Amino acid sequence: MLASHQWLKELTGLELTAQQMADAFTSGGLEVEGLHEKGTHLDHVVVAEVRGQRPHPARENLKVVSVFDGTAVQEIVCGASNVPETGGKVLLAQLGAKLPNGIEIAERKLGGVSSCGMLCGETELDLGSDDSGLLILEPELNLVPGQLAVDALGLRDTVLEISVAPNRPDCLGHIGLARELCAVTGASFPGVPSVATPQVVPVQAWTQPESLFDLFVSSSNAPVGFAQSQVSVDVKDPERCPRYGAALVEGVTVGRSPFHTRYRLHVLGLRAISNVVDATNLILHGFGHPIHAFDFERLAESRVVVRRAVQGEKLRTLDGEERALTDDDLLICDGANPVALAGVMGGADSEIRNGTTRVLIECAVFEPRGIRRTSRRMGMHTDSSHRFERGVDRDAVPTVLRHAASTIASLSGGRCGATALDLDAASEPRPPIRLRRERMRALLGTEVPLNEASSILARLGCGVSSVDDGLSVKVPAARPDLTREVDLIEEVARIVGYDSIPTRVPHVASSTEGTPWLIRFVRKLRESAAAAGLNEAVNYAFVAPHELEAAQVSAEALRLANPMSEERSVLRTSLLPGLLADLQRAQRHQVDYFAQFEIARVFVPTVPGELPLERVTLGLMLAGAQPRWVGDARVVDVYDLKGALESIVGATCATGVETRTDPSLLVSAPYLHPGRSALVLVNEAIVGHLGELHPDVVSRHQIAGRPLYASIDVHALCDLAERVALPQATRLPRFPASVRDLAVVVPETQSAGEVSAALRDVGGALVEALTLFDIYRGDPVASGFKSLAFRVIYRDPEATLTDKVVEKAHAQIVQAAAERFGAKLRQ
Amino acid sequence: MSADAVAAFEAGLDRIGATFAGTFESAEDEHQLRVANARVLGPQGELTLLLKQMGELPGDRRRDLGQRSNQLKNTIQTAFQGKLDALEALARQAELSGPGLDFSLPGRRVPSGRLHPLTRVKHDLMDVFASLGFDQADGPEVELHENNFDRLGFPPDHPATDMQDSFFLEQPAGVDPRKVLLRTHTSNMQVREMMRRKPPLAVVSPGAVYRRDDDVTHSPMFMQIEGFMVDEGVSFADLKGVLTSFVQRMFGADVPVRFRPSYFPFVEPGGEVDMGCVFCRRWQTGASECRVCKGSGWMEILGCGMIHPVVFERVGYDPERYTGFAFGLGVDRIAMLRYGIADVGLLYENDPRFLTQL
Repeated sequence: MLASHQWLKELTGLELTAQQMADAFTSGGLEVEGLHEKGTHLDHVVVAEVRGQRPHPARENLKVVSVFDGTAVQEIVCGASNVPETGGKVLLAQLGAKLPNGIEIAERKLGGVSSCGMLCGETELDLGSDDSGLLILEPELNLVPGQLAVDALGLRDTVLEISVAPNRPDCLGHIGLARELCAVTGASFPGVPSVATPQVVPVQAWTQPESLFDLFVSSSNAPVGFAQSQVSVDVKDPERCPRYGAALVEGVTVGRSPFHTRYRLHVLGLRAISNVVDATNLILHGFGHPIHAFDFERLAESRVVVRRAVQGEKLRTLDGEERALTDDDLLICDGANPVALAGVMGGADSEIRNGTTRVLIECAVFEPRGIRRTSRRMGMHTDSSHRFERGVDRDAVPTVLRHAASTIASLSGGRCGATALDLDAASEPRPPIRLRRERMRALLGTEVPLNEASSILARLGCGVSSVDDGLSVKVPAARPDLTREVDLIEEVARIVGYDSIPTRVPHVASSTEGTPWLIRFVRKLRESAAAAGLNEAVNYAFVAPHELEAAQVSAEALRLANPMSEERSVLRTSLLPGLLADLQRAQRHQVDYFAQFEIARVFVPTVPGELPLERVTLGLMLAGAQPRWVGDARVVDVYDLKGALESIVGATCATGVETRTDPSLLVSAPYLHPGRSALVLVNEAIVGHLGELHPDVVSRHQIAGRPLYASIDVHALCDLAERVALPQATRLPRFPASVRDLAVVVPETQSAGEVSAALRDVGGALVEALTLFDIYRGDPVASGFKSLAFRVIYRDPEATLTDKVVEKAHAQIVQAAAERFGAKLRQ
Repeated sequence: MSADAVAAFEAGLDRIGATFAGTFESAEDEHQLRVANARVLGPQGELTLLLKQMGELPGDRRRDLGQRSNQLKNTIQTAFQGKLDALEALARQAELSGPGLDFSLPGRRVPSGRLHPLTRVKHDLMDVFASLGFDQADGPEVELHENNFDRLGFPPDHPATDMQDSFFLEQPAGVDPRKVLLRTHTSNMQVREMMRRKPPLAVVSPGAVYRRDDDVTHSPMFMQIEGFMVDEGVSFADLKGVLTSFVQRMFGADVPVRFRPSYFPFVEPGGEVDMGCVFCRRWQTGASECRVCKGSGWMEILGCGMIHPVVFERVGYDPERYTGFAFGLGVDRIAMLRYGIADVGLLYENDPRFLTQL
């Protein structure tokens, strides 16, 4: 909402600066997001009187105009076609002026004639949007040449850019803002000056829908010769249109509004159109109540019918668009056709035009939800729909109607009828709301005296009376947001100011449940994954369907009904597409080494219409060469990923990781290389899988190298971690260990894990540890074979081992290696 | 014979006594010293060989010559040790005054990753709230309209829902097309936790939320934290106390905090909390210009208010008995402020160059 500082000053009578007003609004809860000064850059712009004009001697399209600037007559070269006759008043930018549009005025020669300034139009001075020629000041303004324009025309103003929350429709007009300003500052609101005519006659329309109402019937100045001033109004859908007021203005001359009207609209960011339309805009921005002006001659049968549209019915709106309607849209119709989309936009056929002489003013109340549905369906958000969908002041209809009629009449030289029509489907009066002193104290944590609360509510337009230990409050119709006690407490609190509520030393009830294990576990998991060398990624939960396909993950995904783009239209079923995109981006930026993880939810559809399954998942991706300081960078392989997993699981679950190849991966993880992928098991339970990405996936993403990926079901891991017994400390050995190495040559296909497990078994109780420390291929090991080097640590917990005992045990291991795996000892 | 032997022995002792010191002294390193020592005291050393002739000495001289020999041996050993110590000290001196290291060479880093800036901010916030007595809770990101809006008291077809433009999930024919959506705020957790538990409760719940917005400061997915506390006798003064503590523990004990009225459908009275701008620190410096707060000296940090009685009614609490407050804040904004991130998009691009920068 844009508000004029000048207008608010006029309405409140308060001598506050724009900044003071902004602070007051903000402290009351209407945040002022900006202040914009108007009427600036007009230092050397003065009123000038035309004294004569002659054609330019050299340039056909220019004139030389003599103007009196208050001290002297100046010759100004001017290209405008509308230079007024002698005596006409215009605005002159004198030498030294720096105009709002950036132009600096200096003495110039144009075609040999020197020009001491510039005669200006509205747009050059930021006084309006008419760029058709000079701004000609009306004689009624009684301006004196030489006066500074800002002073003579009262151009100084500041626009307050106010963020009005949807619960405060009363503040979508200057009058409501003025009342709010008074309430916040403690001043009393002077109210709106009353207008006597037309007299508004209440009618129960729906009981006699076909009646004709003569809008001039009791008018003492009923114009002679106007044959038909009768109108019939028929509201077919009182639920969607609970109140409809109509007034007539005759003898209208459609034309340009006076300067001050146009300037006020311009300040508020509106375009001046014609006096009648400008008047409706002034009413809208004054009262916050949208009204509509119809060309009465164009209303067939002088009828107004308010009804729902028929499915498929069409209406061409003011913006020229042909609108296809549904039976949920509310229409204003004449005797034959729809003439307006109720509360949203008028129709093109009944709009005010230059020849309009009789104007029918509509001031109605429409049901907010219906307006909102229509406006959303049509994608039409107008000043009118914006207010109706938030709720207008139903009680204000007669006042608004009177002001609308008199404003249009005065701007257009017309006459308003003596009576106006007000069809009101009498609603239940809103019952008064009880405000208990004790409740207010309990909620705010401080005592606000009842008389203070009472005076605040009264300033906000409520009717307040005292009842035992509390107040009984009648809420004005302008405040649809005030429906219960707590709403009144908020009103009191915001006006006394939140600063006046004490800040109590936090009193927090002790936690009854604690933070769930999963949340604590996920935090540990994140920290361990980072400690294992991976950076954390946060990707969007929505991806493109083609990304799911390209990554070969499940494409059975939830679709958004209204995505912002196809690229973000389905919910991810795996973390792989996101990490792939991250890797792609990294490689595009020549980042060689990539190590990232993400912990987030993936979404598995369940029954259509129900909530999906959300599984918290850990995804890990490694690729490229780990940079090293000395020696060559080493390209990561699957054992780096396995090692990272081992660190993570070790840190979070205090246990190891087992990996096992399994044919089921072909189905469950088709994005992994079939021969280079494995299940991940922790304590014999499957928690995920890891491996090299499938070459198809890699090449499809134009990624270099052999990226590695693991996916871990965090829920499964978390359950295990909760069940895993805490490791217990054992006594440290007191006797020395004896270390022996052993290298065996086995066929390439032999798994090292199997050898290692078997040998350990054979070694028996004396083997404290048996670890693989090297794999060697090449001369002198025959091709097709590899040499596995193990380090065996022997220890007897109760005695120092003798060489003899160790040799015996070691010999058994060597023998077993030979027997079980045909291994040859490598010397 | 024995007189000669005695004379020869004494001459031997004299010779050794006269020469060893010189050879020790001229030794330049430990090896030379040990060689010199071995020439005297080694198995084939002069003194060793001489002592082997002890048996040939007449009995009455053995005692005093034996004593002299031992004295000499001790003297030599002491001299040896002395020289050895001196040589070691020299070598140590040389080592200490030798060439130093090139500390401009980079260290060998243990590869370690970083938590995402959003996570780091979230963890810090959670730590502060944990210390204030709040439990943490977690809930679904795909949510029912009911929990995201209706139970929070959003009126149907009301413009208040425009404040949060939602992503809806595609539904089969016959299902309300607005039934399921991506949650637009973490406030759904108020509904879920209150329906699951009974007061007293104090809960914070962080997580991803989704709105149809995409520009330099708005991402269609972003991180929010919801917090709420419900019990008998909880008042606006408690809200002010908890949130003031939160801001000051998170950003500094001297940071000023102000509360001003604002509107959220599910709180009444509702408010917004501003904290002193921590970039210009106007409350200390009096600065009047600042690119972050635009000279106002304040930064909006969170929204809050007393939980609306309609929310209590819809989750089955007695609004006459219980009162509570709720608040919500954006993690992205805090991360952007804290790390000087100009474009929110960077937070979701996961460029390794960005992630390792912070």
